[in-house]
Amino acid sequence: MIEIQDFLRTLGTNSGFWNPLVWGIIIVIALLIAYIIRGRGKKEYKKQTEQTKVFLSGNPELEKEEMHIKASNVYWGFMESFKWLYTGLEKMHTGNVSDYILWFVVVIGIFFIILGVI
Amino acid sequence: MLELQEIIRTVMIIILSTVVLALFGIFFGLLYKGIDRKISAHMQGRIGPPIRQPFRDVGKLFTKENIIPENAVPWVFNLAPLIGLVGTISILLYLPIGGFRPLASVEGEIIFGDLILVLYLLMIPSLALVIGGFASGSPYATIGAQREMATMIAYEFPLAIIIITIAWKLGSIAAGGLGVENAFTLTAITANPVWNAVGPLGFIGLILLLLVLIIVTPAELSKIPFDAPEAETEIGGGLLVEYSGRNLAMFYLTDAVKTVVMASIIVALFFPYNLSPLLGLESIPAYILDFIFFLIKILIIIVFSVSLIRVSVARLKIDQIVYTYWVPLTLIALVGLICIMWDGTMMESYGWPKIVEIFGLI
Repeated sequence: MIEIQDFLRTLGTNSGFWNPLVWGIIIVIALLIAYIIRGRGKKEYKKQTEQTKVFLSGNPELEKEEMHIKASNVYWGFMESFKWLYTGLEKMHTGNVSDYILWFVVVIGIFFIILGVI
Repeated sequence: MLELQEIIRTVMIIILSTVVLALFGIFFGLLYKGIDRKISAHMQGRIGPPIRQPFRDVGKLFTKENIIPENAVPWVFNLAPLIGLVGTISILLYLPIGGFRPLASVEGEIIFGDLILVLYLLMIPSLALVIGGFASGSPYATIGAQREMATMIAYEFPLAIIIITIAWKLGSIAAGGLGVENAFTLTAITANPVWNAVGPLGFIGLILLLLVLIIVTPAELSKIPFDAPEAETEIGGGLLVEYSGRNLAMFYLTDAVKTVVMASIIVALFFPYNLSPLLGLESIPAYILDFIFFLIKILIIIVFSVSLIRVSVARLKIDQIVYTYWVPLTLIALVGLICIMWDGTMMESYGWPKIVEIFGLI
């Protein structure tokens, strides 16, 4: 027989609680509700017609390779807003091991100074 | 046998709660959407649509064709809107709605999820949008999905600072906190309003955290000025560009329910007060009054964090969104955290009184 506590508190630390089983039940019921609501909508559409073509504001559809959006675009917002930071970092990124070791020594030195002062 | 009965009873409560809260979330989500549109219209000098317009919009979308683009991955394209709505409904179970304890904490003693879980579940609707966008096979939708991902990465940081600060303040004993057990659970947070734990410096800190949370809300809901992932005038609806009919209606409902979810989180964290203890009410009149008061609190929060902001500010570019969340708002949240941290020191070392003692509320 399953102990009630095992069922109700599957995962719990002293400060965090998470019961995947209960969440699973919630998800199944919610999925059923959402599916019923969705089922009230119209299912049909005209396949292989103009309406299934991709919307490009009237621009012609090019080859797939030419229309591909690079995954690196995700970071564009970060690269753009932190340009000042990346420019500095790129200058530091020389590819020379001696430079990296120098940085390592400098950072360790700064840490020792901070720890010494505190 | 007793244990089995208890399990069946608990499961029945969870099933019923899910049904009731799903209907609650959808109905009030659409209602608040209508009110938001009406208020926004009046602020812009327009009459605006009737409050029941969102219900009609959903009805209209159900009569429209559910077009699946030829470039799309059909099963992912159809599944994403369902995942979004299901994920959002599931969050409602972990929140204290209408002055009641979270329904996924039966009897108030057994807890099935906490604030950290809510924080993770909040990502599901956004991820559903991203997946749906990528599955659309449209460059506009791909750009929208990428922007949604960048926005998510941006606002999670200040949001995490807010939640951890509040739980830490309630849970700690040394920093003038209340020493609340299980401080990450919403049952504990609503039972012990965080304003009761702070002195003057912490009060300032909490105001700062509330301000940041109010600005995080429009990004969670993809509302102006943080609606770059949709940006109708620029990328034709972004990640929703290829959606139509019942699939678009599902995302519309997800947005409506998520509005209630976000406002409920703010209520639970910052305004968990009820009117019934003040008026000495008990039982059913108390439940009704608290429920109405909860709906009013939600409305006020939506007006401040959605309507007011989206009417008064223009859309930001994605790099501006990232900068806004990672620099000014994270710094404000950190200042709030430091204020609350020092507040404990001030109370302990210099005997600063708590804010509730200053106002004579205790």
